[in-house]
Amino acid sequence: MQKYISRQNFTKLLDQLIATGTRVVAPRMNAGTPLYEPLASSAEMVMDQLPRRSAKEAYFPVCEDIMTYEKEGQKVSITDIDPARFPETVLVGVRPCDACAIPVLDAVFSWDYKDEFFLERRRKTTIVGLACTTSDDACFCTAVGLSPADTKGSDLFLTPLEGGGYVCETFSDKGEALINDHTSLFNEPNNATPLPLAQPYTEKFDLKKVKVWLDEHFEDSSWDEIALRCVGCGACAFVCPACHCFDIVDEGTEKAGKRRKNWDACGFWKFTHHASGHNPRDQQPKRYRNRIMHKFKYYDDKFGQTLCTGCGRCIRVCPVGIDIAQIVEEISKK
Amino acid sequence: MTSTLIETSIYAAISESIQAEAKRILSDGQVSTIVGYAAARRKGSAQPIVITDASDAQKLIFTPACVNNLAVYLTKAKKDIPKKGKIGIVVKGCDMKALTGLMGESQLKREELYLIGVPCAGVLASTFAPSQELTDESLAPKCTECDAHLPTGCDFVPTETPLTPELEKKYAVEIARLEALTPAERWAYWKEQFAKCIKCYACRQVCPFCFCEQCLCDRNKPQMVETTPRPAGNTAWHIVRAMHLAGRCAGCAECERVCPMDIPLNLLNRKMAKELKELYDHEAGFEVTEKGPLTMFNEKDDQSFIK
Repeated sequence: MQKYISRQNFTKLLDQLIATGTRVVAPRMNAGTPLYEPLASSAEMVMDQLPRRSAKEAYFPVCEDIMTYEKEGQKVSITDIDPARFPETVLVGVRPCDACAIPVLDAVFSWDYKDEFFLERRRKTTIVGLACTTSDDACFCTAVGLSPADTKGSDLFLTPLEGGGYVCETFSDKGEALINDHTSLFNEPNNATPLPLAQPYTEKFDLKKVKVWLDEHFEDSSWDEIALRCVGCGACAFVCPACHCFDIVDEGTEKAGKRRKNWDACGFWKFTHHASGHNPRDQQPKRYRNRIMHKFKYYDDKFGQTLCTGCGRCIRVCPVGIDIAQIVEEISKK
Repeated sequence: MTSTLIETSIYAAISESIQAEAKRILSDGQVSTIVGYAAARRKGSAQPIVITDASDAQKLIFTPACVNNLAVYLTKAKKDIPKKGKIGIVVKGCDMKALTGLMGESQLKREELYLIGVPCAGVLASTFAPSQELTDESLAPKCTECDAHLPTGCDFVPTETPLTPELEKKYAVEIARLEALTPAERWAYWKEQFAKCIKCYACRQVCPFCFCEQCLCDRNKPQMVETTPRPAGNTAWHIVRAMHLAGRCAGCAECERVCPMDIPLNLLNRKMAKELKELYDHEAGFEVTEKGPLTMFNEKDDQSFIK
């Protein structure tokens, strides 16, 4: 289904959703930083900046409670968090580099263990993607085979038009339902010209070749050249739309507390630190190697997909200028 | 308002001098390794580089994008840099203060270092793209308060002299603004900032003074600070860190530069530095001293708080 919605009706749509109790998550400013967060009103939305963190947190929050416990005398009571209570959500203004990562993550969260925290949020969320009209020299979605107008992962996809408004195209029942529930706000598509798309880093990587090299070079001096400078923080993983490692911690007192699921990152020294004191990834280049291997080899081996959408966030935030696009490009030319 | 251009034309000549000196000291075996800056892929960008071969000396540069404090690579928390023999390092004045502090804390020995100082007019703020030209607006906030454009105590410093216009001191202005708030307003400000923290620990990992081999905040037996990225643990983490750095941090502002959530962390450190100056007339980074005012007792210390 293809429709048109004016800019004014689009804000009405969001305000109506908010008024009827739907959680609307969209890019907004939080103390000066653009983030995907629940809106109190459509006026908060900022569509012209790529949020600093990806949209994955709509399904996979930075920190979430998964269980609570209470102890009284010898009696311990445990209460599970019920995913059925997660709210219906519309995730709006999602850039293709974020939306495309979501079906990629479905694979790992529904593999041998079904992660209901992720999957129930997924079922209850309608994704409204947005064609990308701005880019910088860290963007490289086109290099990993995607594009600024890629509709993968979106239920409804918006293409901004000259003079305001959007073309809306549906890609699922959820997307159609969003239009059908608010038909008065949508019109038939007109002849308005779409805004020119972003033009990111264009040279396409030969990801097959990259994988062949990775298959054969677990041990290689290049890893030192690439990552000797890595300082071992988690910034790259935490802003990434596809990184999905988490840690589980119990926090509280002897009397009561919570079990929590928090983002984790393979760049941390502690990530593979064994209780024995041994650490198989004892140097930073070995940890950074895992980041590249997981994205361009292991995830492909297991699920036939690439764990990178070229959003460029890790390049922008890396304290020491590690540039994954350059690294992968160089590997593809080896 | 139009912005004022910061003169950086001397950086080209400085780069050439650094290259020549690096080539010389690697060739004659004075140093085994040099930590410096090299150009990176993105337009105008730079990144840290470790070289051991004189033929790589030509890769070294100095530009407004050479933002890192490379002193972090010499600390024991970063074990991966080869530390055989003397190490050369490219330092700006602000980086030199960190090295001075590390020498005072017995982390480094002066005789094991070959210091290549950089006459510096300033570097770019993290909020600007690396290709941005340097102006009073795009200048890193720390550079507006710099008192070390020419590093002292180095083995080699190119002869160029940077032109450094007098600028509004950005941290001083912001600290004055925060000091004028009520405690409740100030608390609201920091609560909002700390709420954004995702515990990526970039602030810790780039800090030359966060050299603990195991950070207290990574321990879970007992757990000192909640590790979860939630307001309580985030606040505890940043306050613990600010206190641990008080009297030691010389203001390289790396923590603030790298924070992916834009938390103005150097404000905490500058505020602590201001208190230390007022209470103990202490400024970090100027001389090699073993103990700072917070780690020793002096009879002249302010004792008015004892009632």
